[in-house]
Amino acid sequence: MAAGSGTYIARRILLLVPLMIGLSMVVFVIIHLSPGDPALAFASEQALDPQVLAQVRENLGLDKPLPVQYGIWLSHVARFEFGTAYTFNRKPVINLIGERVLMSVQLQALALVMAVLIAIPLGIISAKRQYSLLDNLATGGAFLGLALPDFWLALMLQLLLAVQLGWLPASTSGPGTAGLEKLSYFIMPAVVLAVPIIAIFIRFMRSSMLEVNKQDYVTTARAKGLSERAVTYRHILKNAIVPMVTVIGIQLPRLVSGAVIVETVFAWPGLGWLGYQAILQRDYPVILALSLLTGAFILVMNVVVDIVYALLDPRIRFD
Amino acid sequence: MANAQVDETRREQAAERIPSSTSPARHLQQVSTKPESQVQIVWRNLRRNRLAMAGGIFVLLLYLTALFAPALAPQDYTAFNRGQPLKPPSSEHWFGTDRQTRDVFSRVIVGSRVSLSVGFISVTLIMLIGVTLGALSGFLGGIIDNLVMRFTDIMLAIPGFFLLITAAALFTPSLRTTMIVIGLTSWMGAARLIRGEFLRVKAQDFVLAARAIGVPNSRIIIRHLLPNTMAVIIVEATLWLSYAILLESGLAFLGLGAQPPTPSWGGMLADGRVDMQNAWWQTVFPGLAIFLTVLAFNLVGDGLRDAFDPRQRRR
Repeated sequence: MAAGSGTYIARRILLLVPLMIGLSMVVFVIIHLSPGDPALAFASEQALDPQVLAQVRENLGLDKPLPVQYGIWLSHVARFEFGTAYTFNRKPVINLIGERVLMSVQLQALALVMAVLIAIPLGIISAKRQYSLLDNLATGGAFLGLALPDFWLALMLQLLLAVQLGWLPASTSGPGTAGLEKLSYFIMPAVVLAVPIIAIFIRFMRSSMLEVNKQDYVTTARAKGLSERAVTYRHILKNAIVPMVTVIGIQLPRLVSGAVIVETVFAWPGLGWLGYQAILQRDYPVILALSLLTGAFILVMNVVVDIVYALLDPRIRFD
Repeated sequence: MANAQVDETRREQAAERIPSSTSPARHLQQVSTKPESQVQIVWRNLRRNRLAMAGGIFVLLLYLTALFAPALAPQDYTAFNRGQPLKPPSSEHWFGTDRQTRDVFSRVIVGSRVSLSVGFISVTLIMLIGVTLGALSGFLGGIIDNLVMRFTDIMLAIPGFFLLITAAALFTPSLRTTMIVIGLTSWMGAARLIRGEFLRVKAQDFVLAARAIGVPNSRIIIRHLLPNTMAVIIVEATLWLSYAILLESGLAFLGLGAQPPTPSWGGMLADGRVDMQNAWWQTVFPGLAIFLTVLAFNLVGDGLRDAFDPRQRRR
């Protein structure tokens, strides 16, 4: 840890404030620039009486100028009040999110753990046995994995494992099930989320290992007679795995994005599916809250990743 | 192993280029009158990469298919075959028929138009925005650089696909919306990359020299910096072609892309999902088309990256 690390961390955290405000502005502007009328979405159940619509607009504050709407919205958001949804039985947005967040987090955590456990060993072996059959299979597989559309992979898995073979349940999260049976519902969606990440991790881990292998200190370690095992694990791996922290961090937005398609295909009751439904129904409070919360989460995670990386790698300078 | 081979061939070619029996003066003259352009070098490297060439040929065939789709498709993509709903693949209908009795093979052929045109136009947009912002940011530095890069950070923080479907849904789904929305929500990576390249090239001596003799900024950017970042721009654009096609088919799959009756691969997958249990051909073939197209573009992109820079400057 260098001397300036304290100020570096403090500065990164302080920088979050303007980023968060910027995020809220961008999200708000994108949604309010669009031509659709949220009052229509809200009033869909009532008759399309212009008087009713005007009343709805006034009640929702949609008649006020945009900057005023933004100010009102921000002051609520700062107190974690996201209002009630226009649809979804007019439930409070925070409840809608609260009910689903765990389902999404569990699925994504499983996918991430799966990706790390599969990809890092494969990447290490690939680098150690460069151009071997296993290396070619791993790098070739990773290349194919990158080109695989997640929604198609999801459909093909459903077709093969659920429809044809009947090994796994086709969709939903299996409400009312427990234990192994519950887990069987997680497998397909988690695999679909994990495949592109595994591909990226294998490629990165492999090239990171090969890069470190070229360093002088590795040659030194070999020259002084250390066993290849010790060189690999104590000298190469320790240094090669540090940049993986950043790569894992970069995957978070991808995971959250992937969740929209995966949860929709598998009818998974998480935030991705909620977001998709909200978008189709123009449910502005839900869309706003979801984009803002996930955006803020990713901004915070970026800072955490940077700090962890800086602490792990003493070569990083704090300037 | 592969590298050793490449070096060997390169040495042979170098040997061929130097005539053995001529005088030094004549040799010098030859070298100076016929320098190998970067395009030639890249082409020579690329030609040696079999996978990239295979991908390139596939991409070429795809564009030809898209261009002549109506002539190549055995049937009109809207034509009905009365009394033949959900027929499995046969000699008459290679990829079978869909619920509305239309020929799936014809629809896959015509569907290539949507994917390739969205890819082409949205990547043009991505590159226009990304290169402009990245170039200004990298060249001007200071407060503009700071503002642009923080804006980029914010845009990157909103999960890309979520931003994409929000925009696509709110601005009435259509083919045109898809192109514009992919362009407007995907430029951030390109902007960061180009900024980095501009910073790198800007620090080199020939730019300093150009400045010293009073070349205006606009000319430095256009004549000196842009050509030197071209390699990165071309590689990035090729790789984005594949990614834009994935995004487009994802949108279409969610019903937020090109609207019926225009056939798009993603839309066909969504339609075929309903009958997946008894008509696998509806979901297998359009998906395979997306997969192979994306794979081919990736092969070309990777090949181009290696061809521009065999030593792989960037990790």
